Amino acid sequence: MFKAIVDNVKGLYSLLVGLHITGRYALGPFPIWLKLKKPENGYPQLTTHYPRQTIADEDLVTFRGPVELIPAENDPTKSKCVSCMMCVKACPSNCLTVVKGDEGKAPKLWTSNFTLCSLCGTCVEVCPASALRFSHDIYWVAEKREDMINDLLAKLAKNGRN
Amino acid sequence: MSGSLFVNPFHFSTMHENPGDMLGDFYTHNFEKGRISHDSMIINLGPQHPSTHGVLRILAELHGEYVLRAEPILGYLHRMHDKMGQVKTPWQFLPNTGRVDYLHPIAWNWAYVGAVERLAGIEVPERAEYLRVIACELNRIASHVMWWGAFVLDLGGVTPILYAFEEREKINDMLQIVTGSRLTMNYMRFGGVCADINDRFIKMAREFIPRMRERLEMYHKLVTGNVILARRITGIGPFDPDLCYRYGVTGPCLRGAGVAYDTRRAEPYGVYDRFRFDIPVGETNCSMGRYMVRMREVEESLKILEQALDQLPDGPIMAPKAPKATWKLPAGEAYFAVEGARGKIGIHLAGDGGKSPYRVKLRAPGFSNLSLFAEASQGTLLADALAILGSLDLVIPEIDR
Repeated sequence: MFKAIVDNVKGLYSLLVGLHITGRYALGPFPIWLKLKKPENGYPQLTTHYPRQTIADEDLVTFRGPVELIPAENDPTKSKCVSCMMCVKACPSNCLTVVKGDEGKAPKLWTSNFTLCSLCGTCVEVCPASALRFSHDIYWVAEKREDMINDLLAKLAKNGRN
Repeated sequence: MSGSLFVNPFHFSTMHENPGDMLGDFYTHNFEKGRISHDSMIINLGPQHPSTHGVLRILAELHGEYVLRAEPILGYLHRMHDKMGQVKTPWQFLPNTGRVDYLHPIAWNWAYVGAVERLAGIEVPERAEYLRVIACELNRIASHVMWWGAFVLDLGGVTPILYAFEEREKINDMLQIVTGSRLTMNYMRFGGVCADINDRFIKMAREFIPRMRERLEMYHKLVTGNVILARRITGIGPFDPDLCYRYGVTGPCLRGAGVAYDTRRAEPYGVYDRFRFDIPVGETNCSMGRYMVRMREVEESLKILEQALDQLPDGPIMAPKAPKATWKLPAGEAYFAVEGARGKIGIHLAGDGGKSPYRVKLRAPGFSNLSLFAEASQGTLLADALAILGSLDLVIPEIDR
């Protein structure tokens, strides 16, 4: 009987401990909600309010988005690709199409179907000419399925001209 | 007889499709044949149910609030990973391992990479082994913390999962630096790892270790000490070691039953034999015991992480003769087991010298752990059965593969 009472009192106290933690995290450290301290001393805001705020570039370099071609050093509108088809053979999802050009080694068509891509990065790793990389574009939106088929040579030519 | 509950079992035994006027489907009719009580009710928990962590379906025969019998039904998330392993080259199958278990993908990476390395006899550089340990333990902490939040959510406490996600985001930020992704990570390569850690990673990891210890104290104050949780799960779902052996249960569920079996200690792989860590064993074999085992495992993982960061040697991260994408797997068989967050992950690989392996067998710990549920839930209250289900730490993509 006495033990049951003690257990229940202890149990009620444990609920107060939990409520204290929840309350402290809801309001911030004690004086903060009295506006006596500057907000930066409280709990930092962890989320980003897109589109009013965007993520800093240093946090985006680790993000691996859709693959893109690296521009050549001498001509930024041209690719370093030598049409060896290593990436096409290695791709687990068959999402790459590379057509070799009529003259030389440069490709005339280079598309990546992002509806199939699983971003595994095998194509980036096997490329002997280091012509591929991950883009850091996290804001890309497509409205139609056809928009997901990226013509990377056209994108390169457009970016190179700008 | 159309629309009637009392159906002729012989009539349906040859029929695998619902013609439209029957109640229930093939599984329900099979389940109904084993009815224990004439006034019991057969209900489906799932495939879409808030407390089943994905598309797991459980058929339960209820008498009032008591579960007389329960049977898990799988197959709603089957993606043929075993078959895909046979038709793809090892390089092409490697990203799949990150998709098998979304909470601890790096352990699955390690199991597959380890099996291929054992079959081909590839030596892994020392630094790569340490990086594997660091990534795997960080991911294990994320998985356990996530389980902690989801388990309490199952029992009706909504707040803890919000705290759990804060730690998980911190770990994801770290793992994103090396793996490039936040969920389906694919960090390891045959003969090493794909990226080296940088100063930012080391700084974040060093800051994370004391912070996580602080947060664990807070977790214990907020949830473990809470009288509602203690009375809800203490003594619920006791697993004997004998029951665990019969079903092949591994991981925290087996350690919760009092058996100190950990693949990291029993069959050391990588550089796990160089770290000092304890194997937590549950004091009681109930759900509370399994809960405490997981919470203490987070502490042990932090210990391993600290030692790995201290001992981290310099050197290359890839073996000099690492396989290229067109590499062919040699003929032979190899089995490699690692300790995942849910138990022993094993991959049995048989190669015949062709482009792709002859056979890949994935041993998912969750599958064995779930098999036990049918026996453990007999005679419990429905709410307790859900507590047992939560304490098993199920990840359905891993169970269905």
